[in-house]
Amino acid sequence: MSSIARFENVALARGDRSIFQDLSLDIPDGKITAIMGPSGCGKTTLLRLLGRQLQPSAGRVSLFGQNLAELSTTQILAVRRRIGVLFQNGALFSDLNVFDNVAFPLREHTRLSERQIRDLVLIRLHMVGLRGARALMPNELSGGMARRVALARAIILDPDIILYDEPFAGQDPISMGVLCELIAQINKVLGICSVVVSHDIHETSIISDHIYIISEGKIVSSGSPRELANSTNPLVRQFVAGEADGPIPFHFPGQDLWQDLDIDRGVLWSS
Amino acid sequence: MEQLAWLGRTGIAITQSLGQSALLLLMALTAPPDRLSRELRRLVTQIYFIGVNSVLIVMLSGLFIGMVLALQGHTVLSRFGAVEALGQLVSLTLLRELGPVVAGLLFAGRAGSAITAELGFMKATEQLSALEMMGVDPLAHVLRPRFLAGLISMPILAQIFNAVAILSAWLVSTELLGIDGGSFWANMNQVVDFREDVVNGIIKAIVFGFVITWVALHQGYTAAPNTEGINRSTTRSVVIASLSVLALDFVLTALMFGE
Repeated sequence: MSSIARFENVALARGDRSIFQDLSLDIPDGKITAIMGPSGCGKTTLLRLLGRQLQPSAGRVSLFGQNLAELSTTQILAVRRRIGVLFQNGALFSDLNVFDNVAFPLREHTRLSERQIRDLVLIRLHMVGLRGARALMPNELSGGMARRVALARAIILDPDIILYDEPFAGQDPISMGVLCELIAQINKVLGICSVVVSHDIHETSIISDHIYIISEGKIVSSGSPRELANSTNPLVRQFVAGEADGPIPFHFPGQDLWQDLDIDRGVLWSS
Repeated sequence: MEQLAWLGRTGIAITQSLGQSALLLLMALTAPPDRLSRELRRLVTQIYFIGVNSVLIVMLSGLFIGMVLALQGHTVLSRFGAVEALGQLVSLTLLRELGPVVAGLLFAGRAGSAITAELGFMKATEQLSALEMMGVDPLAHVLRPRFLAGLISMPILAQIFNAVAILSAWLVSTELLGIDGGSFWANMNQVVDFREDVVNGIIKAIVFGFVITWVALHQGYTAAPNTEGINRSTTRSVVIASLSVLALDFVLTALMFGE
């Protein structure tokens, strides 16, 4: 299976904080690849590298066989048109209604007639079950509905790759199920590559073909959902089982408790 | 020593921010244009939000300021027995100074804060990121129409302010203070010079519109993408824009009317 995107020895630092060190991974075409890890480990940053909204401080990110760092502004805009992104909260334009939000990329990048745009938008809205909600404004939608509209917008230009940023975060079980179903269906029907960044282990395991687990700037494990479920790696075990303490510590690094409370002096609350 | 370091740090920060905002504006203005019909549609929408929505507050303020000016002017002028000069006093004060400055301050509070808050919100909800990822330049698509709309709206608002204020001053003068309406207008007509007073006032308003919108866009675009960040940027936008209007007014007055 050919890979559509590739990270080779990527390092990224923001200020003094190092986010990735020597990170390498392959994203195969036509599959659902999940990137998982605890909150704040840089999963969303990884997606921003794929759209070149951020540049790595070392290493190479390539997409569709091109090194992103070498592309001109015009070329990167052309590459971005082949990427669909579902942002964490949908990122719907608050001044446009559902229909106009989904029609936006078509109006910007094509010269289709309004009639054609209408048909295409309604087909996509029908796919996500919201054809009847076309006249609503974003502030009238529930979180799950907003994400479905954003999904319709992300696939309107028939992208070659879709990036999902935490698609399940903060959703009720029904909405999670709907999104799971949609992601799997879109991947199959449109035959495109999907990258899901998430920390919801259950839902992600159901839909993904391959999972990478990131922690502290590195890939700590990868494999199929089944392989990871049976993994003996303590960090993977902690993440999969959702244990509070383990290789990823419960306590933020700090002074020893006994020293902090002055207990080694022997008396607590002595005046 | 510490104060010196603080001074240096602040100086560097201010220079950096100035350079950054100038670059931002330059990039927004020079970004490749879209189809003319779409650029125009976006511009008209923004003129509606920024300009038309500020008309009511500008008219109401003009109404009261004109009335107060007439009352105060009458008190002073009557001491010298020169109440006929009221029309002249009111119109010169408004056209040269109060019109552009007060309309500018109102514009910073009403439209500048709205622009900053809107951009900050768009950033926090990843709308600007979404535009970028769709291959649409947010500088050309979001910043440019807002900047041009501010530049066009501000001088018109200042003239609306002037017109309402002069009319309300005339109303108070004739109805309340018993001054002859004919001499009010005649005096004004005789003294006000179109180039010297009206055009200079319009130039001031254009400069203020430029600065207020520029500050608002920069503050919004660089706001920290969270509630506190938007809050802080909106406050800063109004404070910086208002102080800039007052400081620039002094400079412009010195250049235009100074000997």
